[in-house]
Amino acid sequence: MQLRDVTRVYGSKQNRQLGVDRVDLTLGRGELVAVVGPSGSGKSTLGSLIAGIDSPTSGSVVIDGQRVDGLKRDKLARWRGQNVGIVFQDFHLLPTLSAAENVELALKLSGASGSKGERRERARRALADVGLGEKVRRLPTELSGGEQQRVAVARALVTEPRVVVADEPTGSLDQQSGHEVFDLLRRVADRGTTVVMITHDRSLAAAADRLVEMLDARIVRHTVGSDPSDPIDVTAPAHDDPTTSAGFAASPMEVVS
Amino acid sequence: MIQAWRTFRRAPARIITSVLALALAVGAMGVFAIPAVSTSSLRDAAERDGIGNVFLITEDTGDLDVAALASVEGVERAESQVLTWPVIQSTGDDMTLLGVDVDDQQMDIVNVDAGRLPTAVGEIVVDGDVAPIGTEFVVRDGSGVSVDLTVVGIGGTSFWEGDGLAFTDIETARAVSGIEGANRVVVRAESGTSESELGDLATALRDSLAADGVALAELPFTIEDGTHPIEQDIDQVSMLIGFLGIVAGVVGLVLLASTTNTLVTERTREVAVMRALGGTPRALRRRLRRIALAIAAAGVVIGLPLGIAISNVIARMVLEEFVGLTPGLAVSIPVLAASAAFVMIGARVVSARAARRVVGLPLAAALRDRDGAPFGQRWSERVVARFRGGALLDRVAVRNGVQRRGRSFAIAAQIGAAVSALLIVASMATTINDFNAAELEPWRWESQTYVVGPGLDIAADAADGDARSETGITVEGATADWQIDVYGFAPETAMVDRSVDAGRWFTPGADSSASGRSEAVVSRGFAERTDVEVGDVIEVELWSGDVEYEVVGLHGNRGREVYLDRSELASDLGVPEAANRLWSLDQHPATQLAGQTGVDLYDDLDADDSGRQAILTIFGAIGVVVVSVAGLAVASGLVVNVYERRRELAALQAIGGRRRHVLRMVWVELLGMAVVGIGIGVVGGYLGARAITQSFESSNAVEIGFTFASGALPVVIPVVVAGTVLLGVTTVRRVTRRPVAETLRAAA
Repeated sequence: MQLRDVTRVYGSKQNRQLGVDRVDLTLGRGELVAVVGPSGSGKSTLGSLIAGIDSPTSGSVVIDGQRVDGLKRDKLARWRGQNVGIVFQDFHLLPTLSAAENVELALKLSGASGSKGERRERARRALADVGLGEKVRRLPTELSGGEQQRVAVARALVTEPRVVVADEPTGSLDQQSGHEVFDLLRRVADRGTTVVMITHDRSLAAAADRLVEMLDARIVRHTVGSDPSDPIDVTAPAHDDPTTSAGFAASPMEVVS
Repeated sequence: MIQAWRTFRRAPARIITSVLALALAVGAMGVFAIPAVSTSSLRDAAERDGIGNVFLITEDTGDLDVAALASVEGVERAESQVLTWPVIQSTGDDMTLLGVDVDDQQMDIVNVDAGRLPTAVGEIVVDGDVAPIGTEFVVRDGSGVSVDLTVVGIGGTSFWEGDGLAFTDIETARAVSGIEGANRVVVRAESGTSESELGDLATALRDSLAADGVALAELPFTIEDGTHPIEQDIDQVSMLIGFLGIVAGVVGLVLLASTTNTLVTERTREVAVMRALGGTPRALRRRLRRIALAIAAAGVVIGLPLGIAISNVIARMVLEEFVGLTPGLAVSIPVLAASAAFVMIGARVVSARAARRVVGLPLAAALRDRDGAPFGQRWSERVVARFRGGALLDRVAVRNGVQRRGRSFAIAAQIGAAVSALLIVASMATTINDFNAAELEPWRWESQTYVVGPGLDIAADAADGDARSETGITVEGATADWQIDVYGFAPETAMVDRSVDAGRWFTPGADSSASGRSEAVVSRGFAERTDVEVGDVIEVELWSGDVEYEVVGLHGNRGREVYLDRSELASDLGVPEAANRLWSLDQHPATQLAGQTGVDLYDDLDADDSGRQAILTIFGAIGVVVVSVAGLAVASGLVVNVYERRRELAALQAIGGRRRHVLRMVWVELLGMAVVGIGIGVVGGYLGARAITQSFESSNAVEIGFTFASGALPVVIPVVVAGTVLLGVTTVRRVTRRPVAETLRAAA
C-alpha cells in the first residue's frame, strides 16, 4: 500500500484547513501499523484516505497496484466492501440491526459467496471470535460501548479484508478487552492483512510492527521494527496522551485545530 | 435575531420548505374569505344598483298605475319596467331588452361605465361585450314591427347577467314590444321586511294586481333587503371549497410538526449541555418553541397576502362566472386573523410537545445521544426487530419506518392528503358529469321550441296532427320552501320516460285521485329529502296562486320537478287550453309556431358542460394548492428522513454499500409510506367527495348521485409512486454525493 505525496484539504478557499499535508507512506502486507499523534494531527484523515472513505485533494493512494483514489463512487464502495475492514471509533453500527445482522450486512455488501444461512453462520462465528457469541441477537442499544466496539471489529474482520483500518478500536474497552482486540488484530495481520490502527494508547502502539507519528497534518516520525512478540506492558497508563484523537467522526475543524 | 439566523443556517432548505408550505396552507385557508369577499362585492353592487325586494313578471299592465301599488301595506315604492326579447335583424339573435324609467330609476338602476344613459327613444345601453358605442341595430318584435336602436352607453345593472343584454328607456321598450303599460314590476319593501314577510308581500301584490285584472306570468321572486340573489349559491360553493382549505391547513401543520420535531430533536445534545450548565427546563422549552413560532410567523407573513390573493382570485372567478361581476379587492379580517391564529397556535402546540420531550430526557442519556430516541426502546421496535424475514436492507427500512413512526405517518398522511385532493376533484368531475347525463336521461324529445317571453303563448292543440310533436308546459313553482320546475304533459306523453320508481303515472281528471285533487308525479330524490310520499298532498305555489296536488308517483329524475297533466296545469295557471313548449322527437318539427321563438336541442344540452367546467375550475384551483402543500410537505419529510440518517447511510457506504443499496433501503421505506398514504388518500378522497356530494344534495334537495373516480386511480397511483420514488432518488443522490468520511464527520 502506497500513499504518494497525499494532501487533503478541507473547507473553502477562505477557510482552508489541512487534513494531511504531503504524506508519503508505504505499508507492506501483513504489517500492523500504529498511527499516533495529538488531536488534530491528521491521524483520522490518514485512516480515512487509506480506507477509501475519503479522497485526497492531491497525490495518490495505491493498494495492491490499484490506484483507489480515482475510482468512481460505486466502484470505490465495492472495492471497500471487498478489500477494507473499518472499525470506527464510535462504531457506526446500523442501529436497527442486531449484532449478527450488522456483521452479516458487511458480508452481504462485500459480495461474499455462500448462502444466506452460510453468511449468517459466518457472522455468528465472527461475533464469537470477539466474545459476543451469546449476544448475536442484541440490538446496538442493548449492548455496552465495549460490546458495540467488538461488533464493529467483528464486522470489519468478517469479510477477511486485505486492509483493516481501526480508529481507536480499544478506546471504548477496558484494558483487558482492549488487549484482546489488539491480539485479534495482530492475528489478522499475521494472516497477511495490513492493519492500520489509529490509537492514542502508547502501550499498544509500541507493540505494532511500525509506529507512525503525526503532527500538524504531517508524518513526523516512522519507527519500524518493533518486536511484536514483546509482551505488552499492561501496567503502562492506557491513556497517556491527554490530547485524545477525535477519530474519523471528528469534524475537520477539530481535526486540525 | 442572531439566534434565528443561526437556526436558519443550520437547515435552510427544510425551513424554507416549511415556511412555503405553511404560507400556502394559510393561503388556502383564505378560501374561507370567499363568501365575505364575494358578499362584500355583491352587496356593494346591490346597494349601488338599488336591487328591489319583490319582482313580478306580469301580463301587460295596460293603463294600470303601477306606482299605486305603493299603497299596498309594506310597500315603499313600485316601478314599472318592460322586459322584451326582440330579434336583431342582421344576425337573427335574441336581445334581452329591459326598459326602465331612466329619469326616475331607483331600482335596477342602470349605470354606465362609458357613454351616457338613453335620453331619447331608440337609444340603448349595452354590456361591453355586445357592441361598442355608436352601433346601430334594427330589431323586430314577434309581430314583425321593426325599430332602430343605437348604442349610447356601455354599462348595466348587476341583477342582470347574460349574453345580449341591453337597457333602454321604458318608452323604447314599449315601442319594441308593443306592450302598452309594463310587464315587470319591481317593488321595494319597507325597511326591515323579513324574508318570510316578503313572501306574504308578494302574495298581497299578486292579489292586488289580480283585483285590477292583471295576472302574473311567472312566479314572484323576492330578495331580502341589502342582499344579492346569488349570495347563497356562493356561500355554498365557498364552504365546500373551504373543506379543501382545511385539508391544506392540516397538512401544513403536520409539516410544521415534523420540521419542528426534527429541529428540536437535533438539539438534544445542545439542550442537554445547557441543562448540565444550569439552564432551567422552562427557559429551554421557551427557547425551543421560538424556533417553531418563528417558522410559523414567517409562513403567516407570506401566507396572508397569498390568502388574500387566492380568495380574491377565486371570488372573481365565481362572480364573473355566476354574476358577470368583476369585484374589487376585498379583505376579510376575521378570516385572516383566524388563519394566522390557527397556524401560530398550532405551532405553539406542536413545538411544546417536542420541546417537552427533549427537555425531559434523562440528562446523561441526552448528552450521549445524537439521534434522539435510540432504536429498541419501545415495544413496537422490539417486536419489529424480532422479525427476521426479507433482505437485510429491507429490514432496516421497515425498522426505520417504525422507529420514526411519527414522521412516517406524517408523510403517509401528507401523501394521503394529496391523493384525497386529486380524487375529490376527479370524483366531483365524474359525479357532475354523470349528474348532467342523468338529469337529461328521462327526456325523449330532440327539440324544445318556445315562444320567447313569459306566459303561455302556444295553443294547446298546436301540435294536433303532428304525431312526433306535443305541446306542454314548463313553469317555475315552489313547494316546501323549494323552488321547483312544474311540467305539464299530455297524459300519454312520449316526451319523457313515464316509468316511475314508486306509485304510478298521473291520470287526468279530478275524480281519479283519492283526495279528488289533480294528480302529480314528483322527483323521487326531492320527495325523499322533503319527506313526501305517494298519497301525500303537496301545496305548489304557481304564479296564479297556491294549488294542492295529490302525489301518485315518484319519478327517478334528478331535479326538483313536479309532473302534471298539461290541461289541468294550464287551468291552474289561469290560461286554459294553453301551453308554452312544443316538444318534438325531431330536431326540426313539422309543427311551426307563430311569433318569435327559441329552440333548445337535446344534443346541445347534452354537450353543454360550462357549468361543470366552472365548478371544476374552482375546485381544481384549490385542489392545486392542496396538492402543492402536500407535495412540499412530503418532499420536506423525505429530505428530513434521509438527512437524519445520513450518518447511518454513510456507514453503510463505508462498509461497501453502493448507491443502489442506499436507494433500496430508502425506497422500501418510502413505498411503504406511499402505500399507506394512497390507502388513506383513497378512503379520504371517497369520503370527502361523498360528503361534498351529500352536502350538495341536502342543500339543494335533489338526488345528485355519486360516482367515485375510480378511473383516476390508475393515473393517481403511478404518479404518486413515481413522485415518491423520484423524490427518494433525488434525496439519496444528494446525501450520497459527499465523501463518506466528510458525512461521518459532519454528522458527529
